[in-house]
Amino acid sequence: MSRQSMRVAAAALALAGVMAGSARAQATGEQLYNDNCSACHQTTGQGVPGAFPALAGDKVALGDPKVVAFVVLTGRGGMPAFKDSLNDADLATIMTYVRSAWGNRAEPIAEAEFAKARTGPPPSARLQAH
Amino acid sequence: MDRFGLSRRTLLERLSLVGGAALMMAGMEALGYGIASASNAPPPLPGSAKGKKLIILGAGVAGLATAIEAMKAGYEVQIIEARSFAGGRAQTARKGFSLTELGGETQTCDFDEGGYINHGPWRIPYHHRSTLHYARTLGVPLEIFVNDNDASYLFFENGKGPLKAKAVRKGQIAADARGHAAEMLAKVARKGGLDDMVTPEDRDRLIAYLINEGYLSPKDLAYTGTEGRGFDVDPGAGLDPGPGKPSTPMSMTDVLSSGAWRVLSSVASYDQQHTMFQPSGGMDQIAKAMERKVAPAIRYSTVVQKVAQNAGGVEVFVVDQAGKASSVKGDYVVCTIPLSVLRSIDMQVSPRFKQAIGAPSYAPVGKIGLQMKRRFWEEDDHIYGGHIYTDNPDILSISFPSWGWMGNKGVLLGYYNFGGNAAKISAKTAAERAAFAVAFGQKVMPQYAENYEKSFSVAWHRVQYNLGGWVEWNDDTRKTEYPVLCEPDGRIYLAGEHVSYITGWQAGAIESAWQQLAKIHKRVQAA
Repeated sequence: MSRQSMRVAAAALALAGVMAGSARAQATGEQLYNDNCSACHQTTGQGVPGAFPALAGDKVALGDPKVVAFVVLTGRGGMPAFKDSLNDADLATIMTYVRSAWGNRAEPIAEAEFAKARTGPPPSARLQAH
Repeated sequence: MDRFGLSRRTLLERLSLVGGAALMMAGMEALGYGIASASNAPPPLPGSAKGKKLIILGAGVAGLATAIEAMKAGYEVQIIEARSFAGGRAQTARKGFSLTELGGETQTCDFDEGGYINHGPWRIPYHHRSTLHYARTLGVPLEIFVNDNDASYLFFENGKGPLKAKAVRKGQIAADARGHAAEMLAKVARKGGLDDMVTPEDRDRLIAYLINEGYLSPKDLAYTGTEGRGFDVDPGAGLDPGPGKPSTPMSMTDVLSSGAWRVLSSVASYDQQHTMFQPSGGMDQIAKAMERKVAPAIRYSTVVQKVAQNAGGVEVFVVDQAGKASSVKGDYVVCTIPLSVLRSIDMQVSPRFKQAIGAPSYAPVGKIGLQMKRRFWEEDDHIYGGHIYTDNPDILSISFPSWGWMGNKGVLLGYYNFGGNAAKISAKTAAERAAFAVAFGQKVMPQYAENYEKSFSVAWHRVQYNLGGWVEWNDDTRKTEYPVLCEPDGRIYLAGEHVSYITGWQAGAIESAWQQLAKIHKRVQAA
């Protein structure tokens, strides 16, 4: 496959894409989730056993907003970092949807949480060991 | 600082704005950050295998390379492969090839006879000598992969000015960006603006270099275009067209504001340079040639459930296609299963090793092959291979086939996306992915949609037994976790691109296999 240089180019170009994307009309959390997350976690939030974790009832997704923001921005396991491909408003909309869909009940996450997580240190060391 | 207020560093930064950030990247490569392939040939394994048995998990190129060399050295070898075929990610989709992504529909490739897409690895740099070793020794014919093409287009939608969302040939952007930049720098130098940085002799040499680099007029240091950027009317016979009509350069402002200069670098990154190769007929040809050497030792359609070990040996518990469970015993395991998959397998290893397996992320990666009725890029646009680069991160590049030149139909790569963008596009159905790719291509080349016939796409993060295109070590995990996995845990050795610094390349898989096998052999000799 193609590598380092493609990735560098991808990062540079992706940045341009985020800028362009931020101007578009507000999409719903469900739409944004289905567009960006459902390939793996599925539209049902059930994931695929052995490959992609379910988000319905997931402790991390429903837990500390700081951790949620960090994980989604920086990636984890097979999940990519979304910091270059989604802006804070969209990330907040998506995660607020995840935390209220499929029987999930957790408080919304504010856009500011993602802005904070972009610049701050990792919320806890235990994230490194999984 | 001089009267222009330019420090050396600032100058470099400004240069990089013109020459592309990758100019600085190239500098970093030169400083040793590059990805080189270090091994020419398999390690010599002198002495005896002492009747030891290796169990190799995975028949991708890492597992196949391990098996070939271990069998040569006299080891008993058993390879466990989850799929019904060998090669791992080194796959080629041609007529009849079938793939079902997790959570997706089954796609069966229906390209015309001879057409294919390498939806996994697709190119081999000239310095990946380990991959080339097997191509050469196993007699796999190679051909040139055109990895750079000045005649191909750049299509940048997010810039400004008259070049926004316009297909411009790369050679024209390169000529004009560098020509204008060279002119500016040469003029500054001639005025004495760099005199605090260069000696008078070097100033003159610098100006001479810039004249050469940017095709400047030696007299007034002006850039007014160069024949290398092409002609409005090509030169030909007689008086008409005779000398033809030169083309007119784009302005510096237009080039800079387009953003298309982002693809320019002084030199391609190490792993993207010419000479680039591909196997004739598809990337899977190397893996298939390797497979033929060791096929009797492969148990296909057999999935690893658990890997156990004790002081006396290893035992691998597997389930076959019929659901029948069994186990295989041996002396050592070489496990080439991607870490993205391995993290869910019951491994009898130390907690530290287990943690390291779970540490790195894997890259979501998407590719789509689009069969076109005719080779309009060759016939109409005179583009033979190479890539269209875009600033749309869902597409990134469109690539033309480096095979079947002048043929009737062709299969081009409609997108090659990564990360969150790959995740997004992969949520679409196969038909929606194709529609998305074709709609974008139509913006670049008006012949695109009318010539589109059929597609085959893959999202590697959704492919069972891979769950990602390649490992993504970051600075932290590379430092703390990667070294743990380079050493065995008891009798279990890992190999694959993830156990190398040549990640995402077959060379990384092969060279890690060679290195681990050499370690095992040394241990066997010492015992």
